[in-house]
Amino acid sequence: MYLLGRLLLLVMLVAAVPAAAKTTVIDDSGTLPYDGPLTLHWQQLAPHRPVDNRMSGTLAVHVRLHVAPWLRRSGRIYLVLPAQQPGPMSASWSTQGRLLAGNLSSGRRALVYSGLITTPFVEDVLQLTLLVDGTQLRQLYHVNFKFEMDED
Amino acid sequence: MSPLRRDTLSPPGGAGLHNARRLAGFILCAALLAGASSRVCAFTVSIAPAAPKTVYLQVGVGGFTGNYDAGGTPGNNASVNKDSVSVAAAAVGNGAAQAMTTDSTVGASSYDGYAFCNVPAQLYIGGFYRTTSAGAGSVNVTATVPAALLDAAGNALSFARISWTTGGNGPTGTTTTQPFPAGTFAAGTVQTVGAIGQNQWAESCWSFSYSNTTLPAAGTYTGRVLYTLSAP
Repeated sequence: MYLLGRLLLLVMLVAAVPAAAKTTVIDDSGTLPYDGPLTLHWQQLAPHRPVDNRMSGTLAVHVRLHVAPWLRRSGRIYLVLPAQQPGPMSASWSTQGRLLAGNLSSGRRALVYSGLITTPFVEDVLQLTLLVDGTQLRQLYHVNFKFEMDED
Repeated sequence: MSPLRRDTLSPPGGAGLHNARRLAGFILCAALLAGASSRVCAFTVSIAPAAPKTVYLQVGVGGFTGNYDAGGTPGNNASVNKDSVSVAAAAVGNGAAQAMTTDSTVGASSYDGYAFCNVPAQLYIGGFYRTTSAGAGSVNVTATVPAALLDAAGNALSFARISWTTGGNGPTGTTTTQPFPAGTFAAGTVQTVGAIGQNQWAESCWSFSYSNTTLPAAGTYTGRVLYTLSAP
């Protein structure tokens, strides 16, 4: 009886500890443009004190996420901007409502959806603005983004 | 957050694939998915350093609307300013340098509006060079100098008779290291008259003078020097 009680307590404890959310990169190959060119402009056309050498550009991205594997399940979708060349940068975006607007800096991720996945694809148009340090640009860079799914 | 609209389900490879890039992206992604449990698809954005270079040079009257630190923007101005001096007949060739004055009315810095130069004794020169490259590089400002100033009769007076000092009001004007240092025209050449560090604003005030060491024929001598800022 004592052993049964300990076992029951252990089961209850295990049940109370939430399992770590599984993170999976979402297939976004339907996104257009998939490698879109972004025209950058100086934040500060002429350098004046304090000098701001950041450059920014905005691009419309039609995001199409293949979320069929999570159909009828709850999850959280994040937009990820991995740390990469040409160095620290940040991104901000607006949406048409299917996904959440937000911003993030490189090396981080931001929540763009939370809830039940009801359709095989999630689509939205993002007005994506990228902010980079202009003095770090030496060549053509392909800045990588990705979407991640955290299952509840 | 709840779904606000119904998403369109379009099968891969169908009408949803509008172009080759998208198809290539899908094939790449599908190939990657086939051999891995974790998905590695990611869209990218291309950024290039080539386009956003900017240069601006102002000698005398410039093309600014407002000042930089107040959100002003640079523009073009076709004005050509003149520095001149009239030497009294009794003083011609006596070796006493004759200070020249400018018809430019610009004494304020286009950077912040500060009264940097004293007109008409000083001529404002300023500019900037915007580039995406890192480091401490600079670009030169050159002067294309004719061999001589000429009068209506064709008499010549070497441009080498004209020199200038440099400076300005305030802390940056009184430093000995000016972006546009003092000099003397090298007649008939293209000479470097200053440098602008990348991603910096540079400005100086020039005071021109005529050396007055020769006895030219009486007349009005004119010539035009062209200042150029070029970036790679």
